[in-house]
Amino acid sequence: MDPDIDPRIGPGIDPGLIGDCVHCGFCLPSCPTYVLWGEEMDSPRGRIHLMGQHVAGTPVTGEMAGHFDACLGCMACVTACPSGVRYDRLIEQTRAVVEREHVRPPADRAVRELVFRLFPYPRRLRAMRLPLRLGTGLRRRIAPALERVSPSLAALADLAPEPVRHRRLPRRVRAVGRRRATVGLLTGCVQGEFFPQVNAATARVLAMEGCEVVIPPAQGCCGALSLHSGRPGQAARFARRTIAAFERAGVDTVVVNAAGCGSTMKDYTGILDGGWADRAAAIRVADLAEYLVELGPVATRHPLPLTAAYHDACHLAHAQGIRSQPRELLAAVPGLELREIAESAICCGSAGTYNILQPEAARELGDRKAERVLATGADLLVSANPGCTMQITAAIRRAGATPIPVAHTAQVLDASLRALREIG
Amino acid sequence: MGAPYGSAAVAALRGTGAEIRDAGPGDTVAGVVPRWVALPGSTEEVAALMRVCASLDLAAVPTGGGTRLHWGRPPERCDLLVGTRHLDGILEHASGDLVVRTQAGVTAEALAGALAAAGQELALDVPAGGSTVGGVLATAAAGPRRLRYGTARDLLIGITVVLADGTVARSGGKVVKNVAGYDLGKLFTGSYGTLGIITEAAFRLHPVSPVRRWTTVRLPGPDSWTVPDGSGRLEAPIGPIGPTGPAGPAGPAGMGDPVGPADTAGPIGPAALASALAAAQAEPSAVELDWAAPSGGVTVSALFEGAAADARAQAVQGLAGACGPWEVAGEAPAWWGETPGNGVPGEILLELRVPPASADRALRAVAARGLPARVRGSLASAVLHVALPAETGGPEFAAFVSGVRDDVRPLGGRLTVLAAPPELARRVDPWGPVGALPLMRRVKERFDPGRRMSPGRLAEGL
Amino acid sequence: MTDTTGATPVRGPALDRIARRLAAVLPPGAVITDPVRLRTYECDGLTHHRAVPGVVVLPETAGQIAAVVRICNEYGVPFVARGAGTGLSGGALPRTDGVLVVTSRMRRVLEVDLPNRRAVVEPGVTNLAITEAVRPHGYYYAPDPSSQQVCTIGGNVAENSGGAHCLKYGFTVNHVLALEIVTPDGDIVTLDADDPGYDLLGAFVGSEGTLGITTKVTVRLLRAPEAVTTLLAAFGSIEQGGRAVSAIIGGGIVPAAIEMMDALAIEAAEAAVACAYPAGAGAVLIVELDGPAAETALQSAEVERVCLESGAFELRTAADPAERAAIWKGRRSAFAAVGRISPAYIVQDGVVPRTALPGVLASIDRLSAEHGIRVANVFHAGDGNLHPLVLFDDAEPGAAERAEAVSGRILDLCVEHGGSITGEHGVGVDKARYMPKMFTDDDLDTMQLVRCAFDSRGLSNPGKVFPTPRLCGEVPGVRRGAHPLVESGRAEQF
Repeated sequence: MDPDIDPRIGPGIDPGLIGDCVHCGFCLPSCPTYVLWGEEMDSPRGRIHLMGQHVAGTPVTGEMAGHFDACLGCMACVTACPSGVRYDRLIEQTRAVVEREHVRPPADRAVRELVFRLFPYPRRLRAMRLPLRLGTGLRRRIAPALERVSPSLAALADLAPEPVRHRRLPRRVRAVGRRRATVGLLTGCVQGEFFPQVNAATARVLAMEGCEVVIPPAQGCCGALSLHSGRPGQAARFARRTIAAFERAGVDTVVVNAAGCGSTMKDYTGILDGGWADRAAAIRVADLAEYLVELGPVATRHPLPLTAAYHDACHLAHAQGIRSQPRELLAAVPGLELREIAESAICCGSAGTYNILQPEAARELGDRKAERVLATGADLLVSANPGCTMQITAAIRRAGATPIPVAHTAQVLDASLRALREIG
Repeated sequence: MGAPYGSAAVAALRGTGAEIRDAGPGDTVAGVVPRWVALPGSTEEVAALMRVCASLDLAAVPTGGGTRLHWGRPPERCDLLVGTRHLDGILEHASGDLVVRTQAGVTAEALAGALAAAGQELALDVPAGGSTVGGVLATAAAGPRRLRYGTARDLLIGITVVLADGTVARSGGKVVKNVAGYDLGKLFTGSYGTLGIITEAAFRLHPVSPVRRWTTVRLPGPDSWTVPDGSGRLEAPIGPIGPTGPAGPAGPAGMGDPVGPADTAGPIGPAALASALAAAQAEPSAVELDWAAPSGGVTVSALFEGAAADARAQAVQGLAGACGPWEVAGEAPAWWGETPGNGVPGEILLELRVPPASADRALRAVAARGLPARVRGSLASAVLHVALPAETGGPEFAAFVSGVRDDVRPLGGRLTVLAAPPELARRVDPWGPVGALPLMRRVKERFDPGRRMSPGRLAEGL
Repeated sequence: MTDTTGATPVRGPALDRIARRLAAVLPPGAVITDPVRLRTYECDGLTHHRAVPGVVVLPETAGQIAAVVRICNEYGVPFVARGAGTGLSGGALPRTDGVLVVTSRMRRVLEVDLPNRRAVVEPGVTNLAITEAVRPHGYYYAPDPSSQQVCTIGGNVAENSGGAHCLKYGFTVNHVLALEIVTPDGDIVTLDADDPGYDLLGAFVGSEGTLGITTKVTVRLLRAPEAVTTLLAAFGSIEQGGRAVSAIIGGGIVPAAIEMMDALAIEAAEAAVACAYPAGAGAVLIVELDGPAAETALQSAEVERVCLESGAFELRTAADPAERAAIWKGRRSAFAAVGRISPAYIVQDGVVPRTALPGVLASIDRLSAEHGIRVANVFHAGDGNLHPLVLFDDAEPGAAERAEAVSGRILDLCVEHGGSITGEHGVGVDKARYMPKMFTDDDLDTMQLVRCAFDSRGLSNPGKVFPTPRLCGEVPGVRRGAHPLVESGRAEQF
């Protein structure tokens, strides 16, 4: 058996969790795929029903697997559910079952292999950036051919942002002024490789707010991508390594600036067992915005006269319940006018590796999100998740609209604290 | 009358226990004189009468106060007029539940009197004196406060009817909230006695408002209305809507707010005024219009109900712009709630309905025909009654009906003939096109396959 | 659980043929025949009735629905319409031998006409989406069933849905101005409130899909009220709360909503959403007043006075939308919340005259004690609509049966007090057997006449509403023989 899929979260789908669903349907309007297709089996309620069918003895059919694969794992349904159904747990268990029991067509298998052998490994990802470092012109020219060969690879090429120079972060950043706290910083894989400037900004903001920031160089992927794709074995391996890295760095609080990573790390105790679960519990994980609001501001905010639309990343809003904190931080920047994006609770279609594995649905959702983002008329889009940023940027590019600059909350704060004229 | 079994039929009818007499000229139904009149005293007697009618194939027409017996088309045949005046008991007034159950022959006045003792009312402003509960339902009569409380079908919560074969059927009940079974009450509302005889009804009631204020303003004639009516109507097909909201984040493109008085240059038209009243959150219970003649001005009057009615009536003063000031009074204008006709057989009365924002255009369509029409009715709901002089000739009448119909059809409106002398009525289709007519005919066939209940009184085949 | 199917059904060749015909009139991907997928449609919000549909179709236009219905007619197979599948009476329970017509892809707001205060929408638009489309302009759609963010307007039309605010504003039937329907014969017909003649629009609303399928709905929009005041009053007992309700109504006030919860329901809501209702309350009353500010100010003072006089020990008034939401949170969560205090439960829906509430609640208490079954009460106190939540443990032998017995007895109580077996959830398949408790054979036969006029073959959602399937027989002739007077030449027919 593939050690990556090795069941660590139990042998199958927990029938008790399925039984919590009363079939009320309150999850339907929150589900991106139901919004797109209006089909019961592509809604959380329908997927739970499919899980029930499997538990009752129906084998995983191709159709069934397709509906599970189509789930973005955005967790909007968890927020919407009045009965407290743990759909997050259910879909993780189900994905593991699918990976174990279902044989996918060869082309699908190849793409999935590529993704899981690439994304969680920063060094491989860095190597991969070379072929993606194609000018937009060239990219446009090869796109049709790539689309024919593999929509997934086309999506991958489409998503990759314009490369930025990779900057190595120091192992430790000293607090500015009186030291108020010492925190670890997770650099992440996609964030670290495609958006190193966000990590730099995060470190600076934390330092300017009086934090000593520890950045262990040995950290790798947190395990989020694997966990959300039915590879709990791989996820657990990454989780253990991440815990060990921060333990060695001697911090008990880890600040995370990528939504998907944060939600996974907050759930380490559910992925691991025994001693590792205890060690996970000893480390406090906080999202950057959550942490900064708790800490309270000390640094001076300089004006940034612009309108900004804030995008709720699913793994921040739904998985971690963090909605008000980033808005609070942004609204506190003098001169900054915050605008709401319609249908903010609906996923942009990025969802970890979803835009690569389910390119058509992801594109529809991306287009839908881009339309609503553009409708705000904002100067800047603020997104706290690298996947969302890539996804929405690509969709806006497809729409042929004037590109809207996208920045992480950390970059906006960094610009305000440093009195920069531009966000970078 | 010399029917071969006339005396036997009378004996059979008398055997039901109901009072039976020969019909006279005063019992005419839209020009048709029945043979006998029956005055049953209970639902059971009505059922027995209908069984006799079924066995002898007698056609029956129910009547209440007879105030609108000249409305509708002449029945194809009419042997027995079934009067409900002995069904005059208020069966139950559950004041704590705001519900009343009454027999069909109770008059609106008698009911109002009984309910007033408990500070309650049936919020239907029945137009003519002597109307009964059953008659109001059968003709779907309604008055000014339809804007706030709806019409008879909205206040009716239970009904008892007797069908052509004597079957007694009930639907609904005496609770306001109830979704068990089909709502026969809705079906019988506006049925003109063609499906059966209503013998009992239950209604939801409202507390009588402690204060009522009518605020009235006079607008000039149609030549000076400057706001193009109906212009705010927008066709805005928009993209697929997710269950959480509209596709376009900014909402349907081009969707306009109601026409308000602010953007008017000259005197405001009645439709814009009604729209402004509705948008002002002052919550009038009614906005009525009276137009004595197409050449002259229009009177608009709004009713406010509630402890703070006075202040709310004052608050809308600004809405009429240069046409003000409004006159605020504790009494209704004399014309309030009355149909514009004279209410007697021979009157010509039509009902004009358009989407409310198109009311001005509908009024202009009436004026354009050049007949001395009098228009009155609910402006905010744009359900208006049009009366023509009794001496109107056949060709003029037909031209009026077809001309106004042509003008209001593109607005989504319709003109219905409520009452007209048979020689005039014959010249026009009383309803104009109604898409649901084939379904209505199928309902009629099921309820009254022998066509004994007021046959043809409502429309061809009903 | 009433599983009418047993194992996954094997579709007969007839349904396969029909599926092919359906595919020819529908867009690609709009016909579902895969057994695993079909099974996800086996029930609506009421899960103890299940039937796997023969075929599921996802049409996008009225024309497509008409084509589907005509094909069903051709083969004589039944069809059932379904919106979001949130119904609580099994009204959208599929037929194993028929076609399930799902309107979830018909969700466009076609027209918003503010000057005429109306909107035209497709049947799959959610109730709340209508309000969201017009809220920025100061309007809303009044009926607000508690599932409003999910349930579709087509389903609301079928069920004549109400909601907490129907005390003042009425039900779906009072807010629908016109419907486009596909008749059970496959014709597209418009039923308009402005039509003269029989109120077929009124008869269609609430007919639970037995008279045809709604394909377009014109709804009335209301101006958002100038002021909304929400009060929460805590009482020591249900009796005190009931007294307050009577006194409010008796005082001539018609609030937008009056909701009551008993101690057990409060406990459940507390467990689920930490609503922080006053501790020790035997009952809480939520009273919402809306309208012109000048009126609500006077009324809320009166309501406060009446509540205190009736024994309220704590009063809270929401000052802003956030506080209002906090007050409503416990009430809105109540149904799902009882899942936190009981492994299984039945949501009942019955109506009694408001003044009979105290007596009926006392009887429910006795029933509860006699059967050893807990009952939590949540109700729309203003209109006497009870939602007893009958709690039981499905692992305990016999408990489900006892709960079912208590639940059924509560409906008997409603009928005995002159009420109804359903105030808003509908009859569906679940309560058809209770219809004879409320109606005579003659009443039901007369309703059946309406059914036969619309659907003489009984193909539209058969097995719902009425206790026994009745056949319509032959369509009777327009006239049975000639009138004796005509026959004898003494009268003329015209």
